[in-house]
Amino acid sequence: MLKINGITTRYGTVEILRDVSLKINEGEIVALLGANGAGKTTILNTIIGLIRPIHGNIYLENKRIDKMKTSEIIKAGISMVMENRGIFPDLNILENLRIGSLYEKDEKSINKTLKEVYDLFPILKERENQLAGTLSGGEQGMLAIGRGMMGKPKIMLLDEPSLGLAPMLVDEVFEAIKRINNEGTTILLVEQNAVKALKIASRGYVLQKGQIVIEGSIKELKENEVIKKAYLTI
Amino acid sequence: MNNPNIKSNDYSQTLYKKISYFLTIIVTEVIIFYMFINFLSSEGIDYRLFLLILPIIAFFILRGNQKITNLVKESYSQCNSFSTIFMILLIVSIPFLFKDNTYLLHICIMSGLYLIMALGLNIQLGSTGMVNFAFAAFFGVGAYTSALLTVNFHFSFWLGILAAIIISALFGLLIGSLTLKSTGFYYALITMAFQIIFHLLVNNLKFTGGSGGISNIPFPIIGKYSFSSSLNIFGINLPFQANFYYLVLIIVLFSLYLVKRLYNSRTGLVWNAIREDEIAAKCQGINIAQGKLEASAIGAIFGGMAGSIYAHYISFISPESFSFDLSVVLICIVILGGLDNILGVILGAILLTIIPEKIRFFAEARMLFYGIIIIAVLIFKPQGLIPEKIRKYNFLNFKKDNI
Repeated sequence: MLKINGITTRYGTVEILRDVSLKINEGEIVALLGANGAGKTTILNTIIGLIRPIHGNIYLENKRIDKMKTSEIIKAGISMVMENRGIFPDLNILENLRIGSLYEKDEKSINKTLKEVYDLFPILKERENQLAGTLSGGEQGMLAIGRGMMGKPKIMLLDEPSLGLAPMLVDEVFEAIKRINNEGTTILLVEQNAVKALKIASRGYVLQKGQIVIEGSIKELKENEVIKKAYLTI
Repeated sequence: MNNPNIKSNDYSQTLYKKISYFLTIIVTEVIIFYMFINFLSSEGIDYRLFLLILPIIAFFILRGNQKITNLVKESYSQCNSFSTIFMILLIVSIPFLFKDNTYLLHICIMSGLYLIMALGLNIQLGSTGMVNFAFAAFFGVGAYTSALLTVNFHFSFWLGILAAIIISALFGLLIGSLTLKSTGFYYALITMAFQIIFHLLVNNLKFTGGSGGISNIPFPIIGKYSFSSSLNIFGINLPFQANFYYLVLIIVLFSLYLVKRLYNSRTGLVWNAIREDEIAAKCQGINIAQGKLEASAIGAIFGGMAGSIYAHYISFISPESFSFDLSVVLICIVILGGLDNILGVILGAILLTIIPEKIRFFAEARMLFYGIIIIAVLIFKPQGLIPEKIRKYNFLNFKKDNI
């Protein structure tokens, strides 16, 4: 579904990504692991066109997207849940969710998606009219994921959804991600919490200093000595 | 269930409820209107100012009473259109009350013009978060376009106002496209520069009449009826200002309808998203440049419209009317009333045009007064006088039965 072929990205003269290739098939959850500063977020930003690659190309369902505007890439079926969550603090939950499905014309389908979001995160329905800035960190994370669902994306990019959450909430969020995937949305999950990420993912990549160093199925990754040492031990 | 007695009982109960709603609306609106009239017509320290204080005290006492506040809230939410129509009827009657006092009518017209401009600025400052200090320039572009066309080329007022709208929208697009990449302080600084450039230009260019301005701008004419003649309704002679009063009233109502529609539309939501977080908005697929340009152009249209009417009403314009001060006053109105809140902007525009007229002995220090207001609002009530916002979606209708 999403194919990234050998992209190289620079901030000024500093090379962040070097010849990175990823492939995400339909219906998968793919985990992208890596230490701080490895370039995980840069990959996501490159996919949605906030940063332009110098080399390489990106295809979404055989359509080249790396030259398109961000707004068009999003409309083509990608939704992004940002690392800092990127909610709109002075708007209420419902308005935040509505912005997620801004370009959907059919109201019935918006209602249906909204209902799905509320089923997944009942707390959002309870606080529907509350300003998003007054929510707790966990609720903001749920709102960000819910807003990502509202656009009915083909593929959802999640940037560290477990960041700053209590262990209980992390489980809840990962459970929700799995359910979203079960309903047919492909997911690219960027995580530092490798234990949790490898539990729900079907394949994984490990990024180190801007390069993919390991890729494979979950089983292979779990048995890999480097990963065991760097990510899975406490 | 089929007992007719219960049915008629139900019916009489809803009727009783409806009447109580109507009565509440009529009583509250007449009180507010009466306060407003007294406030407007008081001279210095006057017994009428004390009439103003009484309802305010009553408001604070009754606010604790759950039953009354509920009744008021319910009646306004249930009979929304009735309350609007009744208020409009009261406002329509103002020229009849002030038919001997054209000065008060003049204040009303000016506060209407300020309101139109503030609604336009609210789109930029309140909804989109663009701190635009060049709004007086939009006002000026409208006024000069219309004045130059009617004086030099003998256009009619109606063509003039149309041209003013188009030219000011283009001017808004120009400023908008030049400032696309800048936000926050930088945007404010650039617009300040534009405002000062505009003021210097109209002050020094030949065809705008320099500092002398343009005089003898013709009054609007409909058919053979000129706006300079006194208005005669039901045998009552109203001063010529009444013509402009009703013209401004119609445009104010039209503008209010328009901004309300915009606020509840997808465009309004896009503007809010841009204000909150540009990068997050971009990640939701919003075209930032388009949203900002729309806000810039639509806001400018309101400024241009007000400018054109102003030029033909005063029939004389000079650069001094479009200086930096006016921009500051408009920003003050929007901040006082409540950013991105239409009701707040109405309140702010009325208060900040009438109060300075009431304290004329203070006239030299007018800008000081506005400065104090801004500081006080930002410290004590940063959300403005009316912080509450209600956004209506069509897709919320399902809420009760579907979820």
